[in-house]
Amino acid sequence: MKEKPYRSVPLEPGEITPKYLYKTRRQFMKQIGVVGLGALLASCAPANSGNPGAPGMVLPGAGGEVPADVLTAYEAVTGYCNFYEFTTNKETVDELAQDFVTQPWSVQVDGLVDSPKAYSMEDILAKFTQEERIYRMRCVEGWSMVIPWTGFPLRQLLEEVQPTSEAHYVAFETALVPEQMDGARSRMFPFPYTEGLRLDEALHDLTILATGLYDEPLPPQNGAPIRLVVPWKYGFKSIKSIVRISLVAEQPPTLWNTIAPNEYGFYANVNPAVDHPRWSQATERRIGESGRRDTLLMNGYAEEVMPLYEGMDLTVDF
Amino acid sequence: MTDRSDRSIRNQWGRISAHLLGGVPLILLGWQLVQGRLGFNPVESVLRWTGRLALGLLLLSLSVTPIRKIFKISAISAMRKPLGLYAALYAFLHFSVFALWDYQLNIRQIYLEISNKPFILLGMIALLILLVLAATSFRFWQRKLGRKWVWLHRSVYAAALLVILHYLLAVKGDLFSLQGAYAPPLIAAGILVLLLILRIPAIQQCLRPTFTQQEPDQPASD
Repeated sequence: MKEKPYRSVPLEPGEITPKYLYKTRRQFMKQIGVVGLGALLASCAPANSGNPGAPGMVLPGAGGEVPADVLTAYEAVTGYCNFYEFTTNKETVDELAQDFVTQPWSVQVDGLVDSPKAYSMEDILAKFTQEERIYRMRCVEGWSMVIPWTGFPLRQLLEEVQPTSEAHYVAFETALVPEQMDGARSRMFPFPYTEGLRLDEALHDLTILATGLYDEPLPPQNGAPIRLVVPWKYGFKSIKSIVRISLVAEQPPTLWNTIAPNEYGFYANVNPAVDHPRWSQATERRIGESGRRDTLLMNGYAEEVMPLYEGMDLTVDF
Repeated sequence: MTDRSDRSIRNQWGRISAHLLGGVPLILLGWQLVQGRLGFNPVESVLRWTGRLALGLLLLSLSVTPIRKIFKISAISAMRKPLGLYAALYAFLHFSVFALWDYQLNIRQIYLEISNKPFILLGMIALLILLVLAATSFRFWQRKLGRKWVWLHRSVYAAALLVILHYLLAVKGDLFSLQGAYAPPLIAAGILVLLLILRIPAIQQCLRPTFTQQEPDQPASD
């Protein structure tokens, strides 16, 4: 039997799971600094020289010549990310987002559904069994990570509200609280952040709503208290800190696609054959490794998701 | 005699300041790199910092002559050449990090990147200009080329323009609607435009009396 592309372990509420061992920021940084410098001097080190900062867990599914996937250190996952409502600086966002209030939190699920509903986080955690999913995460900026999420398939939530037959897309919206979000006060971007999926993409088993990572609740910078994770699409599709999920008939407007449609497609599927004017989409920097590794079609989930795009020209609908 | 030694000390100060401006960031960058303090994506950090420093020092180098002419501060003229050389050095490091560290000299991938990303090509043309100017910046070439040297070295403005375009195109967002972090490259563009305006002789004529009158050129005599 074929192995699943991810590890799926249901977690019972209150179950005590062993904490991941992760190195301190300093140790990790020192190592990547040294590895980086070594590579600079040697300039011919193999791309898969191992991930010094990770606890050594290998993700199944990527066999053959593809270098192994090792969990990215917790410190890197939580210390290096994009959340433009706070700042465009990936390495100070953790501090700036620290005081973001995520309690109480409510997610409005509405639009073309039979039973619209506002879920509190307590409802969500009680109703949907949280499970672990280890996914590759590929940012459109050309870097990537491997992250152990905790969450549940979005499908479960959508089945509860019953989309009507006219619903073809799902629109998502991030909280917009300018008084808590430094970056949102500037008019640099048309916030609130919005994203969208085609309904069949939203119903796919790989698509989850995440509530935690590394067995801990999501830190604010990673999209607390609840975010989308669509592992075969560029990271910007995985919208953070969701306050609204609407079922709609037409393809909804999404932030990056609105700003620069020629650069950020609505689908934004990871595809090494569709290049970007700024960053290489053929290769990527895995955080914690030196050099580059090849980017995989659909971020390595092609077998699972390619049926969704049958008959579509992925270079046109990118 | 006193006048000459005085001038040479002033020139030394210009040179020393230029080496501080150009050299200290390099030492800091190298130190942080060895210490592993350049963040989770050190390649990106080093690319960003070498790029910013190259552009900043280039603009500083270009500001030297207008400032000297308008404010009549002759001491700073010694800064122009070293600042320009540092700009070329940072631009070279910027490209080296891209080719050696990021792409590990994978020629096929580097070619692919250059061929389908116009901003990289613009940056490379700018680098080429800066390297030619750096190589011909010595007195030997200045003498040998004579009038041609002046014309050749005016291409530094073309290099600055290309670097700014390279920067603008590298920013994430949309340039036409200005949605994105466009402030730094636009400020640089503003400075370059100002520097070009200041090169117009008529403008220099206009500005000189306004500023030089206020400058206490001579010690107060009583």
